[in-house]
Amino acid sequence: VGRNFHEVRLKHPVMTTDKAVLLLANHFSWWDGFLMYYVNHKLLGKKFHVMILEETIHQVSFFKYMGAFSVSKKSRDMMVSLNYAANLLNDPQNLVLIFPQGKLYSNFIDRVSFQKGLMKIIGGAQQNFGLLFATTFVENFKHKKPTATVYLKTITGNLAYKNIDELIAAYQQHYNSSKQLQTEIVL
Amino acid sequence: MLPSRQNDTLSKWFYRFMRWWMGRNFKEVNIQPFEPRPGHSILLLTNHFSWWDGFFANYAAFNNLKRRLFIMMQHDHFINHWYFKYLGAFSMKKGSREMLESLTYSANLLSNPENLVTIFPQGELCSNHITHIHIENGIERLIKQIKGPCQIVYQCTLVDYFESLKPRAYMHHFDCGLAGEIPFEELKQRINDFHEQALKNQVNMAH
Repeated sequence: VGRNFHEVRLKHPVMTTDKAVLLLANHFSWWDGFLMYYVNHKLLGKKFHVMILEETIHQVSFFKYMGAFSVSKKSRDMMVSLNYAANLLNDPQNLVLIFPQGKLYSNFIDRVSFQKGLMKIIGGAQQNFGLLFATTFVENFKHKKPTATVYLKTITGNLAYKNIDELIAAYQQHYNSSKQLQTEIVL
Repeated sequence: MLPSRQNDTLSKWFYRFMRWWMGRNFKEVNIQPFEPRPGHSILLLTNHFSWWDGFFANYAAFNNLKRRLFIMMQHDHFINHWYFKYLGAFSMKKGSREMLESLTYSANLLSNPENLVTIFPQGELCSNHITHIHIENGIERLIKQIKGPCQIVYQCTLVDYFESLKPRAYMHHFDCGLAGEIPFEELKQRINDFHEQALKNQVNMAH
């Protein structure tokens, strides 16, 4: 990350670290996992876990030593993966990163869509984790190398979203406000 | 205003160097299909979001638009990077009488159908994620002074990563009509419509 980026800027509120963290992030590049790893390293210091596609874990096998576990879409194994993620959240030392969009999208999308399995995880874990939203935008500005800006938001209080739509709405709100801040940058 | 001392041979060599350099820093530079009108000079208006923009314009001018590149630079940048004058750069001092000179100079360049003039109409560095492109009023004055046939092209460059380590640059070109035929207000509107269109195309980009 240090070699390929000019700077990683973190825009974040005060972090509390006594609970497990479920980190939801937008997925637009190969770097997202690394950037989130960096976020964890800098701010939270938890044990890092990330859900990635089974194809990817076969291609890049060393990921599994860095906390990656696989999920294969449209199979019974998916339930196992989701339960595994939910169990991880019961240990306050853990951080689980999930890209709820389920595949790569452009960095320029306006609306974020989530896969439904996410609710299974939230439902499966016993409500003692913190939810953290991350939105990342990458831009060059006046440097040769890009600058990644990560906007973070902790969700405190009632985590029991009744359904996926409410969760999407909450994430979307954060996404929009982040994008707004990003576009206001003028040099 | 400091004029350009554009040199075809140097430009060609620089283009080869630049292509190698961009190849090293980008996974892909993707120019969406676009056919410029033959026999017209081109006024290339592009969004300004990064250090690379001038290179993108150069790349498109050589590769796709097939014209001789000229590019308007801010005066202080021009002084710092004096060597760009051999590659088609000329200076512009914002908010001074000299600015009018620069605009007239660009208009004269555009009277020759072999030339292409790149201008960043926003006049400053903005985010790549903005949805509204601001066009400075100087463009109107410039367009009025063009004598020969000139096509106005909007280039929207968007940088995206997808599954690669290195970024990919996507260039979307849009034909905004001919200089002298299109009113300025309509041009502004069209550019913003095209920008929106480019963002939509980008989201649906196959990768």
